[in-house]
Formats: sequence, C-alpha cells, structure tokens
Amino acid sequence: MADKDVLIDIFTRADLIMQSDIKFRKMIGAGQLQIVYYPVRGQEVVSAAMMAAVNQEDYLVTIYRGLHDQLAKGIPSKDLWAEFAGKMAGTCKGKGGPMHITHPETGVMVTTGIVGSGIPIANGLGLASQLEKDGKVTVCCFGDGASNIGAFHEGLNMAQIWKLPVIFLCQNNHYGEHTHMRDTTGSETIKQRGDGLGLRSVRVNGNDASEMYAAAKEAVEYARAGNGPTLIEAMTFRFHGHLLGDTSHYIPEEEMEQALKDDPMPILRQQLLDMQISETDIAAIEAKNAATIEEAAQFALDAPYPPGDEYRIDVLDVEIAA
Amino acid sequence: MSEKPAEIMFAQACNMAMNKAMADDDKVILLGEDIADEQGGGVFKVTAGLSAQYGTDRVRSTPISEQAIVGAAVGSALVGYRPVAEIMLMNFITVAMDQIVNHAAKLRFMSGGQTSVPLTIRTTTGAGTGLGGQHSDMLEAWLAHVPGLKVVAASNPADAYGLLYSSIMDDNPVIFIENTPTYFTKGPAPAPDHVVPLGKASIPREGTDVSLITYGRGVGASHAVAEKLASEGISCEVVDLRTIAPFDEETVLKSVAKTKAAVVVHEAVKNFGTGAEISSRIHEELFSELKAPVGRVGSGYAPVPFSPAIEKAWMFSEDDIEREIRKILG
Amino acid sequence: MATEIRIPKLGFSMEVGTLAEWLVPDGSDVTEGQEIYALENDKSTQEVESPATGKLKILIDTTGEEYPVGELIGTIE
Repeated sequence: MADKDVLIDIFTRADLIMQSDIKFRKMIGAGQLQIVYYPVRGQEVVSAAMMAAVNQEDYLVTIYRGLHDQLAKGIPSKDLWAEFAGKMAGTCKGKGGPMHITHPETGVMVTTGIVGSGIPIANGLGLASQLEKDGKVTVCCFGDGASNIGAFHEGLNMAQIWKLPVIFLCQNNHYGEHTHMRDTTGSETIKQRGDGLGLRSVRVNGNDASEMYAAAKEAVEYARAGNGPTLIEAMTFRFHGHLLGDTSHYIPEEEMEQALKDDPMPILRQQLLDMQISETDIAAIEAKNAATIEEAAQFALDAPYPPGDEYRIDVLDVEIAA
Repeated sequence: MSEKPAEIMFAQACNMAMNKAMADDDKVILLGEDIADEQGGGVFKVTAGLSAQYGTDRVRSTPISEQAIVGAAVGSALVGYRPVAEIMLMNFITVAMDQIVNHAAKLRFMSGGQTSVPLTIRTTTGAGTGLGGQHSDMLEAWLAHVPGLKVVAASNPADAYGLLYSSIMDDNPVIFIENTPTYFTKGPAPAPDHVVPLGKASIPREGTDVSLITYGRGVGASHAVAEKLASEGISCEVVDLRTIAPFDEETVLKSVAKTKAAVVVHEAVKNFGTGAEISSRIHEELFSELKAPVGRVGSGYAPVPFSPAIEKAWMFSEDDIEREIRKILG
Repeated sequence: MATEIRIPKLGFSMEVGTLAEWLVPDGSDVTEGQEIYALENDKSTQEVESPATGKLKILIDTTGEEYPVGELIGTIE
C-alpha cells in the first residue's frame, strides 16, 4: 500500500476528475454545452496515480479521451473548461478544443485526436530530454486500440533502440470504440506486444491506486536513470460509452455490472478511511474540488468567444492576410 | 574561404547548408535512414561527413519507420530543437502524412500559438531515371494544400544552399524538396553567408512577352526554351518560385502584369497540380489584361511509368513548354 | 437561478433531437439525476436526467416533435 500522503494526493486528483466528468456530462445532457465529449468516469485512478509519480515539468502526450490525464497533470480547471467550451480564455484560445488540449506550463505538450499518433511525438520529447540531459520523462497515454496501429510499433521500437525516457501508458479499458479487444487484437495482452518489441513491459490493475502508483514510480525511476522506456498496461474500464450519447449497447450487462462494482473511486475513498483519514478531511477535499469545478464551469459559460478572424493567427508564425 | 571551388553540385550544397546550420545552432539535429557515416552518409550521400563532425547524437540513423522519424522530429521541435528529418524519397512521405498533416502543420494553431514545430523535412524525388511508380512522384501539391506547412524547392545549388539554411532556421514546418536526377549537376557556388529568404521568388531571366512561372527542375527546362525562342524574337521571363507554398504572389502578379501572358510549368502531374492554383490567382487578379488564358504544363495523368519510352512521353518536356507558349501567344 | 434544459448534442452527427415524451408532469418536484424526458435521435432513445433539483417548468410540451440541438425545452427552478 502506498503511503498516506501519496494516497491523499492520488485521491485529490482522482476526485477532481470524477466530479469534472459528472459535471461535464450533466451540462452536456442539459444542452448547456454542445460538444462531443469522451467520458472518463472509471479511469480516474490510472491517471491520478501516474501523474502523482511525475513532476509538473515532465511532459505528457495524451489523446481525445484525455480529461483525466490533463486534470491529473495539473492544468487549471478554468483554463481547461474554457477551452472545452471554445472560449478565448481557454488553454488554446478556443482553437484546439477538447480533443487538442495543450498547456506547456504543466507539461501537457500534445493531445491528439488520431489513435496512436502521440507515440512517435512522445519519442521526440524524450529525445530532446535525452540530448538536453534535463532529467525529464515523457508520459504518453493511449488506449488498447492504439496497439493495432503502425505508429505504436514504430514508436515503441524507436524508443527502445534509443533508450528514450518515455513511459507508454496504455489505459486498457477493453473496448476500442465499440469493439471488444478480443475481436481486434491478436495478442492476449498489450504487454506481450511490448515484450515482443524488447521493451520493459508490465501489466497492472490500473484501478488500484497503490499498484498503479508503484508501477508508475518504478517506470519513472527507470527512465530517469537512463535505462529507457517502459510500457505499462493499466487495466481499467470506462462507464459511459466511447462518447457521450453512446449507450454502450455492445457491452454485456454482466460485464458492465461487474465493472461498476469494481468502481475504483469508492474503493480508494474507503482505503483512505481505513488509513484513519477522517470523513471530514475527505469531505473537505471533495468540497474544494466541487467549488473549483463550479467556478470553472461558470467561467467557461460566461467567457467570451474568440473573434472570428482569430483563425488567421497561429497558422504560421506570421498572421495570414485576410 | 578563398579556396572554395567555383562550382558545386546540388547535393553538396545541401550538405553545406546543413553543416552551417549545425555549426550555427546546436539545436539542429538530423534524423533519417542511413544518414550517419557508418551507414554511408545517406543513400545519396547528402549527409556525408556530418556525423563525423557533429557526432551520432545529433546525426542519427533511424529504423525504416517514417512515422517514427517525423514524429520524433515533431516532438523534439516542440521543445526547442530544429530537427531536419530526411525522408529518403518523397513517395515515402505518404506513410508519414498523419504526422505531417495532422500534427506538424497543426500543432501551432491548435495550441493557440503556445507551441511551434520548427522542423524541416528533406526529401528527394523526380522522374526520368527509370525508378517507376513509387520512387519518383512530385507530391508538392498535396503538401501545399495544407495550411501551416511551407513547401520549398530549389532550382540550382546556390539556391539550395540558401533555401535549405533558411528552411532549417524557419519557425514553421518546412518540406524541402530535392531533385534526384539533378543532385549531381553543378552550378555556381554560393558565398558561405548566402541566405535565400523563404517566400520570395526570383526572376533569373527577364522578358517581355510571356512569364514562365516554375520551380525546381522546371526552371532549367524553362530557361532552355526561353533561350531557343529568343532567337525568334520571343522574349520569355522566367519566374523561379523557390517557395511553392505560400508562393510569392506579388512577384508573380507583377511579372504577368508586365508580360500579360503566363505559362505555369511543373514536373508534377498537371491535373490538380500547383499550376491550377497559380493560374487561378492570375486569372482572378489580371483576367482583363491577359492576351490569352494562362497556360499550364505538367506531366501526364498516370503513375510514373517505368519503361524509358513511356516515361519520356508521360513526362513534361521542353517541347510541351514551347508548344504552350506558341499556343497562348497565337 | 433557473437551470436550463436544452436539447443536448449526444454524438458526432447529432443536429436535431426528438422530444419523445416528458416522464414527469409540468410543475413536478424533481431531483438531480432523475430521468425527466426521453430523447430520440437517429440512433437511439435515451432518458435524459435532470441537471438540478427543483421544480420542473416545461416550456415545450408537444412531444414527438424534432428540435435543433440547443433548443430550450424547460427549466428547473
């Protein structure tokens, strides 16, 4: 079991993610935000534990289902919510949107909407750190589906031959869009693919905060010591479909029931209580997160949209003529 | 540098430009298949000697993994490096298009200007040497269509030197297209501090009757035709775009406003080629002043054929340029 | 302050949704998370949850009609 302070840290991040996801789904459901949204409920602990094991200066490359990773890495809620709402005050001035969040101050360098494409880019960040000898690591998140695209194999191979300080975090939620992994993936596990490519590869219960944190910490230390990359296959589940509005009709009821029974959030909360952290202290963390989210959501709704001709800026390093 | 040869080859000019960029800025790194000296210094030896001079940390031979090569270049560029990725042949760019189009070109914009991707992709191509359908395509129009990318092609060694250096030092992603069949043709050597700015066309030959707007290998062919027609009293102006995208509209329009006739010449397949865009811009701005509609010369609507007999018939030629000029000048 | 209930965007291509039926009558006290109306789109029918606790005020009570995403159909006060 990870120590008390670490678990509190992980819980604080994970609860912010959970409450944010609930709030997003509520606001989208009520039509207050009209955006395509990829729910993260169920995968909170994987990100929270991973990001608790790295520093703010370390890099993150993630994917369209990335809210949990971005919050866990520390992007301020207001900036993030405003970007999700397409507002000028957002992290990317409303020009990226939920699928393309960037926030270098917290190390979030790329969020890609293309499955697997973050992997080769993470290598470039790792290469820069290796050349700079700055001691940074890069965390690269993707799902189980990404292991079936070429970039995964090219990227992991290159990371291994160059011993790049990159942690490939495969959040295995069993489904690539609507199809179960068993129908799309020739190997039984993603770890086997890492093994085949010669990488140090581990498979853990990503929903267990202590187990996930231990694997993350070990991979980070391994990378910082110059030993090279690790593939972590973190087993998890998503509770609310590929994107909001998808009813998960393709997930058998028993499977969903079991996954909900294994919901990592109440389990982690109970672990805190078991470690003699008081209900009052936990409730205070939750209340603080709730207040942060309320403020961020209202800010996102109230903030102005960017002016239309903002599209001519940031295409190249000079403004494009009208 | 008083000992420098009066003439250098195109490939040598590219090598010198990278050498100078690496000497000037230690953030310049090279990535590509077989580019280090141990592997031969590149299949066309364009990077020969650079790993010996700067080490294999900065001049890295890679696996045959174009997505991984461009991705590593994108990632390192995001945090301050100026990577030069060599994609051995332009057709292999197709397997890295996701990294180029969805990432290199868009990350500055999608991040709201928080990050930028100052990378250069060097690649070579060109028909006429019997390499067939997958080793000779000119794909510049694909890339020119993508907002956020610059596309550059040099027509002579001195320009190659000055343009490649500018490409490497540019803060935007640049595709630098070299031409395999002319790698070993010689031209006047540039001064070591010779820099050609991106986005500026040149007018290597002035004329009054028709503007030949072209780039890369089209420039040499256009010169030859201009020379031939001069003996008949037809005066051709040659405009070398040098940067294909974004192209120097000002210079092009100024030239055509003077000659009131234009032919756009390129090696790439004519259909949906860059000639269509350039011709359209001329029509939009100068329609009423033109003596005739803008002409276009490009290669045929077919994959690059293997057999020399068919390849020659397919490929754009000096005869095509001459015919097109005569057509529009009536 | 009243919480608005608008036709939500649930999916890539959703531009319009059909208000199939209200599951609770106008003026009811509803609790956050309670299913309050059924929404049909081209793919499926879903029960939509109340975004707040309070009194439901139905603004559009003709059911079976199609409305654009973003249309205000009710509030919770």
